[in-house]
Amino acid sequence: MGITCEEVWRDISDYIDDELAPKQRAALDEHFAECRHCTAVLEGTGDVIRLYRDERVLAPPEGFRKRLEGRINQQLKQGPVEIMRPSRRAVVAWALSAAAAVPLGFALFSRKPFTLPGFHHQGPADSPVTGLVAVSEDNGDKFFHIPSCRYLHGKPKFLPVEEAIREGYSPCAVCIGKRKIEKKG
Amino acid sequence: MRAAEQVLISRILAGEKDLFLELIRPYQRTVYATVISMLGSIEDAEDVTQDALLKALARLHQFRRESAFGTWLILIAINEARMRRRKLRHGIMFSLTSEPDGDGAYIPKDFADWREIPSEALERNEIRDALAKALTSLEEHYRLAFILRDVNELSIAETASILGISPGAVKSRLRRARLMLRDLLSPGLQNGGHLDLAFKEVRKPWE
Repeated sequence: MGITCEEVWRDISDYIDDELAPKQRAALDEHFAECRHCTAVLEGTGDVIRLYRDERVLAPPEGFRKRLEGRINQQLKQGPVEIMRPSRRAVVAWALSAAAAVPLGFALFSRKPFTLPGFHHQGPADSPVTGLVAVSEDNGDKFFHIPSCRYLHGKPKFLPVEEAIREGYSPCAVCIGKRKIEKKG
Repeated sequence: MRAAEQVLISRILAGEKDLFLELIRPYQRTVYATVISMLGSIEDAEDVTQDALLKALARLHQFRRESAFGTWLILIAINEARMRRRKLRHGIMFSLTSEPDGDGAYIPKDFADWREIPSEALERNEIRDALAKALTSLEEHYRLAFILRDVNELSIAETASILGISPGAVKSRLRRARLMLRDLLSPGLQNGGHLDLAFKEVRKPWE
């Protein structure tokens, strides 16, 4: 036997991956031919890998695909996926809009009486949308959003909902969806 | 990257979003396996797998085609799982900071002859559970190297790039993980998969 068992155990994993130089590989082959213990280790290790590769091991639970399909379809229905941006930008946009929303909201609110400071507050799905909404040129589309909407990117501009509509914007399907839009001049 | 995948991705980006399910079909199990090996709970794993796949759909336009789609997907999944774990404060289970002593000699236990475990044995829940448990009992750096390389069948280079370690470190973690798993499973899976393994009683030679 040219090499020791310890050397074989050190290299056995690389042997399985075929990462050994031909000479070392030959030395291990030679060792396996004579050593029952190392052969058992090799076969056992190979077998363990084979078992873990089997689709049935660590498999998703029953109904997984169906539930996944449901969520994906829901997202596809809801969202203009093509305008989604990296979440970091979304977070920054959210933070910017949230930060801008409060003082700006109060400033505008004190000058002009809106129905509600509907501001950065994403109300329940059935609550009407009133007050200020946000639009952003960085979005490259003509949707208006609740300021906290994750589809709102870049530097948002805040304007009354009726003005947004007048300017040709339509409601974002995600944050506004089917909520009623209340205009108040 | 496989040509069929390229075509699917282009079509999805051009608006045929329904094809996304088809695109991820081959990766569904490996993404889930990776996530559950990190989180342990079936409910969390399903949820996080779904979150990761939805994120992949939303960010598909950012996918750079020079890397493999599967690798990109797994990276998203690992990040999602880490985020979830931070939220759940599962941190106690794993130590991410301690560097593995991957180069130390590992002496495999002597279990006479290994008798091949027939694939039919995997029909039995207890065998699948034993495999899952054995994997969970490894420290995370071993577990992830094993999952990426041996379950996801990624290359050593891809595994290294996902884990942010050198190929040499991948190899040594892999060696330890494989040998430890064999040791853990050997006494229980012998005799054609008759399970007499009580994990609590298994000695962990690396401790």
